[in-house]
Amino acid sequence: MNPSPILSQDPFPEVAAPLEEACAPSPRDVGAAVLFAVSRRRAGDDRPLLMTAPRALFVEYGRPYGPGLAGLPFILAPVSTLAEALWTMEQGLRSGAVSMGLGAVEGATLAQTRRLDFAAKQGEAVGLILSRGLEGLSAARRRWRISTQPSAVDPEDERAPGPGRLLAELTRGRGERPGAWMLEQDDETHRLRLADRLADLGPPSIAGTGAPSGLAA
Amino acid sequence: MLHALNPAARAAGLRREQGQADALAMIPYLLRQPADPAADERALKALAHWAERWSPSVSVDPSGDGLEGLFLDVTGAAHLFGGEAALLRQIRDRLAEAGIPARVAMAPTPGAAWALARWGGGDGQAPIAADDTVRDLLAPLPVEALRIQDRTLRQARRFGLKRIGDLYPMPRAGLARRFRKEGGVDLVQRLDQALGHAAEALVPVRPPARYRAWQTWMEPVADLEGVEARLSELVADLAAPLERDGQGARSLTLTGFRSDGGATALSVRMGLPGRDAGIWLRLFREAGLGNLELGFGLDALMLTADVVEPMPARQAALETEAETRQAESLAALLDRLTARLGEDRVLAPEAVDSWIPERAERLRPALGRRVEGDAGGMSRRPILLLEPPEPIKDPLFDLPDGAPVRFIWRRAPRRVTRAEGPERLSPEWWRTAKARTRDYYCLEDADGARYWVFREGLYGRDYTGDPKLVNEERAPSWWMHGVLP
Repeated sequence: MNPSPILSQDPFPEVAAPLEEACAPSPRDVGAAVLFAVSRRRAGDDRPLLMTAPRALFVEYGRPYGPGLAGLPFILAPVSTLAEALWTMEQGLRSGAVSMGLGAVEGATLAQTRRLDFAAKQGEAVGLILSRGLEGLSAARRRWRISTQPSAVDPEDERAPGPGRLLAELTRGRGERPGAWMLEQDDETHRLRLADRLADLGPPSIAGTGAPSGLAA
Repeated sequence: MLHALNPAARAAGLRREQGQADALAMIPYLLRQPADPAADERALKALAHWAERWSPSVSVDPSGDGLEGLFLDVTGAAHLFGGEAALLRQIRDRLAEAGIPARVAMAPTPGAAWALARWGGGDGQAPIAADDTVRDLLAPLPVEALRIQDRTLRQARRFGLKRIGDLYPMPRAGLARRFRKEGGVDLVQRLDQALGHAAEALVPVRPPARYRAWQTWMEPVADLEGVEARLSELVADLAAPLERDGQGARSLTLTGFRSDGGATALSVRMGLPGRDAGIWLRLFREAGLGNLELGFGLDALMLTADVVEPMPARQAALETEAETRQAESLAALLDRLTARLGEDRVLAPEAVDSWIPERAERLRPALGRRVEGDAGGMSRRPILLLEPPEPIKDPLFDLPDGAPVRFIWRRAPRRVTRAEGPERLSPEWWRTAKARTRDYYCLEDADGARYWVFREGLYGRDYTGDPKLVNEERAPSWWMHGVLP
C-alpha cells in the first residue's frame, strides 16, 4: 500500500466508458475492486447486473451478497472456462437486458476485449473487466488499479472502522491524463464519492480545486 | 427358476417359473444365463422411448409374466405410415434391424393385441383386428392368451375350456363364480378387456405431449449439420399449431431415434412461454446439439413441447411497453445463458425471511424468476460473502469475549487496527437444535482490508471453561464470513 498517494487535481471521470477494467493487485483489494466496478453503472439505470467468473473465484473471494450491495438486482454465472465467461459477458452486454456485465475474464486477447467493447455499445451497457494485473493488452477505454485503504477515523468512535475507502488509479485512459482519486462509500446511499481531502489522508488540498462531488454509484 | 425361454426350450416343454433342478432333470444339457430383471427393465424402457417414433403414448406391458412387451397407442396415427399393415411391417423390420425379433399385432384393445401378437397369425402376416373382427379372431386362440395366472389356466383346462371361443357361450355369472379373482384380475375381466367390454388403462413411459413435430427418413443422418437442418424444419412445424392455439412453450425436448434401437434426447427450458422458431433453434444450438449421441445415425427426430402455457396471460402483469420489452429481453438472455451453461450456473438471489446471513439471501436458478435485489436491513453487510464461512486460526484477545486483536486467516497473520461490534444474531432454534449464538464484528487490519467475522458460541453462557465439563461444552470458535468494502 502506498501510504500517501499523490491525488489528481483533475475531476474524477464519473461517466463510465463502454468498456473499463478494474484491477485488484492483491486478494485483499478484491472487495474494493468489486465495489468500484459496481459503482461504474450509469446513474438511474435499474437493469440488473450480470457477473460472471470461474466458479473457483467465487469460492476463493466470496460471492456478491445483495444486502452488502444495497439491494442491487444481479445475476451470477459461475462458469468453468474463460471461453464461457467471455461468451456470457458478451451475450449479457449485447442483450440490452443488463446495466453492466462484470466479468473476471483474465487472459482475454485484445480481439476478445474488442468484441466486449462493441457488445457493450450495442446493448447500452457498461462492460467491466475484473483482473489481477494490468500486463495484458486490452480494448478497455480506462484501466484502473484499485487498492483498499484504511478508513477515515470517525470522531465519534475512533475504534470502529469507518466507511469503505479505496484508491482508484487511472493507469490508462483514452485522451485522459492518468491520475489517482480517493473514493469513499457513503454510509446512507452506499454510493462512492470523493473522499474529503481535508480528512486524515493525502496531501494538503490546494484551494479552489472544488468540493468533493457526489459520484454516481 | 426360469425367467425367460427361447423357442427351442419352449418346444422342449420347459415353462417360465419352472425350478432350475426340475428343468435340468428334463434337459440335462440346458444352457443357462443368470437373469438381470433390472437390466431387462431398463432396456425395455429405452426401447419404449425409441418406439415413441410411432406413437406419443408408449407403455411397458405391466402384466405379471415378465418384461417383454410394449403397448403403442396408434389411434389415428397409422395413416401417417401408409396404413396399418405398413406400420406393423415397419415396426417389425426396424426392430429386426436393431437385432430384436418381435411379434406385432394390432387390435382395438390392449388385451386383444397382446393375445394376437403371441398366438395369432400363422401366415407370416402380422394380425390386425378391427372392432367387428376381434371376436372371431380371438375365438380360436388358447385361453392363456387372455393374460391369466397359471392356476386359473389349469382350472380352465379342467373344465375343458381350451379356446377363448369356448368361453363365449358360457354364462358370465357362472364363470365369475368358478374363477375367483387372482392377483387383482379375474378371467371374466380379462375376457371383457380383450373384447372391449371393459376399459383398461395403460400408463405411458412418459406423458404424451400435446404438441409435437417429427420426421422420419430412410437414410440415417449421422452428422450434426444434417440434424440441424432437419431441426430447423421441426421448430417451424411445432410453432405453427402453438400459434394457432395461442399457446407458448416453456420447455422443449428434441428426441433423436437411432437406427440401432436407442434414443437420445436434449431439452431446453425457457423462463417465459414462447413460440419463436428462431429462438428455439438458437437455444438448442447453445444447449449443444453435439451432446446428442448420434451413434451410427438417426432415422427419426421428434420435437415435443413438454410444458405449454397460454401466451398473452403473462404480459398483463407488466405495466408499460418499455417494461414488457425489458422483461422479455431479460427472459431471453436467461434462457440463452441457461441453455448453454446449465440451470445451476445462472443464478439470482432470493430473499428469505431470516436473520442468519447465509440464509437471508440464497442463490437460486434464475430461469423463470424475477431478478430482484435484497437491500437487507440497516446493519453493515459484506459485499462478498464466503460460503461456507472459513475458520480463523489463533485469535488473540484483550478480552476473551471481545473482538480479536490478531488472527490468522488463510495462513497470513492479520493485525486488527479497528473493530466494531458485536452484532448479536441468535440461532433460529426452530430450524436446528444445535445452532449457537453468533456475535458478528467488523474488523479493519493494518493493510486497510475490512472483514466481517463472527464468534460462534458465547463465553460464560455456552462455555464456562470448567475442566469438569470438558466433554459437554464446545469452546467458542471464530469464523471469517465475508469481505466488507
